[in-house]
This record gives sequence, C-alpha cells and structure tokens, in this order.
Amino acid sequence: MSTSKTHNLPGTKPNRWLGKNSRQGNWWAALLLIVTTVLILLATTDDFATPQNANNLLAQAMPLIIVAIGQMIVIVLAGMDLSVGSVMSLTTAILALDGSPLVLIPLVFLAAVLIGIVNGVAIVRLNVHPIIATLSMQFIVLGIAQILRPVAGGSVPDLVVSLVTGSVFGVPAPVFWAIFVVALGWKILHGSRFGLYLFAIGGGVASGQDDTAHNFGLKDGRSIIIAYVFSALFAALAGTFIAGRIASGDPGVGSQFALDSITAVAIGGTQLSGGVGGLHGSILGAVLMALLANGMNLAGLSAFLQGAIKGVILLLVVAMQSRKKMGL
Amino acid sequence: MTTIRLTTLSVCAALLASSALAQDVNLMDGVEPRPEGNSIVEAGAFQTEAPWTIAMSHFGVNANTWTVQTAHEAKGIADGDARIENFIMLDANFDQAKQVADIEDLIAQDPDVLIVMPVTPTSADAGIQMAIDAGIPVVVHTGRTENQNFTVDIQGGAENFGRVMGDFLVEQLGGEGKIWVLRGLPSHPEDINRYNGLMQALEGTNIDITQEDYGNWVYDLGKSLCETFYLNDPQVDAIWSSGADMTRACVDVLTEFGADIPPITGEGNNGFFGQWLELGYPSIVAEYSPSQAAAGVRAAVALLEGEALHKHYIYEPEGWNAEKAAEYYRDDLSANVWWPTELPEETLQELYGN
Repeated sequence: MSTSKTHNLPGTKPNRWLGKNSRQGNWWAALLLIVTTVLILLATTDDFATPQNANNLLAQAMPLIIVAIGQMIVIVLAGMDLSVGSVMSLTTAILALDGSPLVLIPLVFLAAVLIGIVNGVAIVRLNVHPIIATLSMQFIVLGIAQILRPVAGGSVPDLVVSLVTGSVFGVPAPVFWAIFVVALGWKILHGSRFGLYLFAIGGGVASGQDDTAHNFGLKDGRSIIIAYVFSALFAALAGTFIAGRIASGDPGVGSQFALDSITAVAIGGTQLSGGVGGLHGSILGAVLMALLANGMNLAGLSAFLQGAIKGVILLLVVAMQSRKKMGL
Repeated sequence: MTTIRLTTLSVCAALLASSALAQDVNLMDGVEPRPEGNSIVEAGAFQTEAPWTIAMSHFGVNANTWTVQTAHEAKGIADGDARIENFIMLDANFDQAKQVADIEDLIAQDPDVLIVMPVTPTSADAGIQMAIDAGIPVVVHTGRTENQNFTVDIQGGAENFGRVMGDFLVEQLGGEGKIWVLRGLPSHPEDINRYNGLMQALEGTNIDITQEDYGNWVYDLGKSLCETFYLNDPQVDAIWSSGADMTRACVDVLTEFGADIPPITGEGNNGFFGQWLELGYPSIVAEYSPSQAAAGVRAAVALLEGEALHKHYIYEPEGWNAEKAAEYYRDDLSANVWWPTELPEETLQELYGN
C-alpha cells in the first residue's frame, strides 16, 4: 500500500509540496531565509565556508533537529510537548551518574518511555489539555533531574562522548546521527500507517471535528499516547547528544529546547492547529535557528544585539506565513 | 662540583627572575598570584605581533546589572588598545550547550587568545581543550573549570566572599543569634561556594539559620523573599545576603514594616552604598568587582606581548566598611554601577549618568 496516497484527506488535492492546500505546510519560507543567510555569510565572512564550521554547524543544529522531529510528531496531531527540555536535562543527569553505560543508556530511554506514557495517558484518559499535562510533567522531570544532579558537573561515559564527538573514516559522528534521526522521523511521519493516523487525527482537530479520526475507526487514543512516547524518546536522544557535547550532566541544559523546538516546527510550516506539516520543514526550521546563531557569531555581531536580531529574523519568517495557516 | 653549583644558581636565578617578571604584571588591584600550587607561563610563550584578535565567551551578559557591567569592562579595555584589531565577545546566556557552540564558533575564527567566563565547571572543558590543541592560549576567569589545561586563570574567591560576610555577622552577633540567608541562583556554583564560605564562618558558633531561600541575586525576588520571611517570623538578629540588590530589597521591606535594620551584608553596588550611607545600618561589603573581566583582557594582552604570567591568580580582597564605601559612592550615577570599576568617566556617564 502506498502511504503517500493515504495522506490525502477528502477535499484536498494530492500531496502537493507547495500551494495553499499543501499538506507539507509553508516550509519554503524557512528555506528561503536559509539560502539568503548562507549567501550573506558567504559574502561577508571568511570563516563560514570551512569544513570546521560545517562540522560545528551540524553539531550545533543536531540537538534541536532531533527534539524538533519529536515535537512535530505531537504537533501534527494538534498536541504539544513542553516537557521535552526537562527530558533532555534528565537524560544528561542520568548519564552523569556513576555506572556502566550499558545500564545508564537503557535507563535514559526507559525513563523517556514512562514520561511519554504518563503525558499521553493524562491527555487521552484524564482529558488534560496537552499544554497543562506536559507543563506539569516539565516541572516534575526537572525536579527529578535536580535531585539527581543539583549542580552541573560529573562526567558521562566515554562511550557517549565518542558517539557524539568521534568520527568514522573521517566522517564526523553528527553526520551519522543526522542520517539516523531523519530516516527514523521520515519513517514515523511519512512512511507508516501510524504517521497517517497522526495526520488524520490532527486534521480532524484542525477542522473542528475532533472525532473524525475516531469515527473512521482509527485508534486515536492509542496513537496519541504513542506519539508522546516518541516525543519523549526523541528528547532523550537529543539529551544524549547534548550530554556527549558537554561531557557532563546539567539539570538546566534543556531549558530552552521546549520553546525552541516548537518555534522550529512552526517556522518550518507545520500548523500548530494540527494535520499539516512535513518533516523537512521542521528540519529546515531547526537548521535556520542554528544557522542564525552560528552566522551571527561568525559575523562578529555584538552580544548585546544578537538576541534582538534573532527575534527580528524569526518574526520575519513567521510573517511570511499567515497566522491562520500556522494555527497560532 | 663548581659547575653543578653554578648551573643550580643559574636555574634558581632564572626561575626567580621569571617569577619576579610574572609578578610585575598587574592584572587588577587585589588580584594576586595564587601562593600555592602555581606555575609560570614563560615569557614569550605566546608572543604575537599585533594586530590581534581576542575572542571571549561570556557566561551571560544580560542576567543582571553586574554581568552587564562585566561585558562593558572587557570591551572598554579592548577598545582602548589599538593593537586589538578585533574583539569578539559571545554571550552564552547561561546556557551550557550554547557556550560549547560559542567556543566552537570563536575557535573557527582563529583568535590569538580565547577568554572564557564559564557557565558551569564543565561547560567550557571541551572548548578549552580544542583551543589549547589548536595552539590558542586560554584565559579563564570568574568561574572555575574542571579542565585545568588553560593557560591562565583569575578566580574571585566565592568562599572568601561568603566567609567575609559570615565573619562580620559572627562578630556582630557575638557568636549567637538567628539569621536569615538570602541565596543567589539555585545550583549556581558561585552561590554554592559563597554559601560554603558562610558555613565555614558559622562553624563552632551558636548562630542558627532560621529562614533561607533563593532570591536569584535580583531586587524583585529578594523583596518577595524578605516579605515572606518577615511575615513568617519577624525575629531576626542578622541577615546574610549573597548580593547587593537583594540587600537593598530586604532593607526596603524592613523599612516598610517599620522594623529595625539588623546587621546585613552587602556588595559593591552604588544603589546599596547610597542606601547604606543614608540609613547607617551595620553592614559590610564583600568586594567582587566586574573589572575581573578587564583583568581577563589584560592577561590576554600580556600573553600576546610575551610577558611572563603565573598560571593561577586569585582575587580575595578584604571587606569594605562604610568609610571606604563613601569614597566610591556617586550620587550622580544610577544604582546599577558596581564598584570598583575601571570604566572611564565618559563611559560611566554615558551608561549610568542620572
């Protein structure tokens, strides 16, 4: 069965990548700004187009790419996961415990599964709004991370550091991470029946008919719970990557990622109201945010100005898409 | 035998000369070579012809008025030296992962020196190693790192800071009483070490901490904290405040409630000085100058000039009394200036003039 065909709901033209009925969202705005930023940096800085900076940029973008893929999985079904940042922090805290990586790494992903299940059950069974459920979970998980590691420090297993900072035949490890997470994200969102369910559930919510998917016989409750488990698992993966980068545990390291991941997904064209979006858009959104940070650093822009400039550029991207389309 | 003696004498003379030269570099008033476990960065080790590019990773510029001033202090020194062609300062915004990325981006620009104010004890470790491996000398200040492979570090003693305040309270209370403790940012190494300094001062006394919480070193939270403390139990003999903005806030709360101001600790902040000198309550200032950032740039310049430096410098000044505070206080400047400062008068007026 071709899964691409099944993504098209009644009344829409088949799977167009551009145009007002595109089920991929308005991802082109992020792409346009990436191309513009790259051209400006190529023209104005000497250090941008170097292999070293390409490695830096990929490594810097990778955590946000990973967590944005997980965030998109829940956003496309009209949900939201504010606990991803705390899951990342908890991951680094667990990995910085004394113990074998063969114990700590499975423990990280087990914790993520539990967090995802609790989020999903709270939303589906207890009917708690996704923002409230995951915000509560954010505080709970952050508290646990702070108990495990009150102050940043400790050291994570060498295996984790090598998996992030090493290379294979001269190819930096982040390249393999990129291939893995993109392939996994693509399979989940665009290459599986589960992905179809997500778009169907989100599309129903976006059209104001929450029960559409259910009425078509889809097991929407189970799909929503699984989606939140995936979101937490991607956050744990991103946390593992960060832990390898900083080589230590830090209970505050994920604090920016909840909002950053939602921003990346939104500027990549995924509608926050659900049902519309594409993996490539979310990746472009994450890359754009990393590129802006990297580019402003290389352009030597004042530390006092960088935050303001980043805000203006992100506003520009968002303004290139209609508010209704974004679901905001 | 004579040859051995002569060689030994020559080596000793060289070491002494090197040490003397290193001591000649004045990084900042109050900054001294660490007396134990130190070593020398040899003269000429990093000598480089100007113009220079100096890169700096700041742990967080916009956290509070003190951190803002550190950025201005560093920039002020760099802007005033024509040999520094390019001074690049990046703001990690207290984000460990961002500091890792910032340092990567700074190293990519091939600076002559890298200055690091670490977010956490581990946030700059990988970056420091990357820079050292690339032959770039690294100056670390205002925060410790686990990686000790940096070239020079300048560390304000947070424990000394907390102990200076604690000793003052012990003396004021005669070794017994009830105190409130206003801490800084939860989990921040500076807060933990200042608190450790307080604990050292309180050891063996009969002083009890009756109320304690975090005010994040800012006025608003400090005020809420003291309101809560006072309403919960107004009996207090002294207050240990880890930051001057919280001190001002707490004094304002006690004044609003009509309570006496007990001995309370402060910091070198102009707003606090004004309040202290006006109300005359018992206090002490633990010095922690934002000019440490200027000292970092000065150390970087000394390395590039080929000066010999010590590897470790410490900054553990004595506390200030009201007379010394009065020498620094300026009523023509806003509450946001921190003393002592190396900012020139023109910049002070531009940034802080009333």
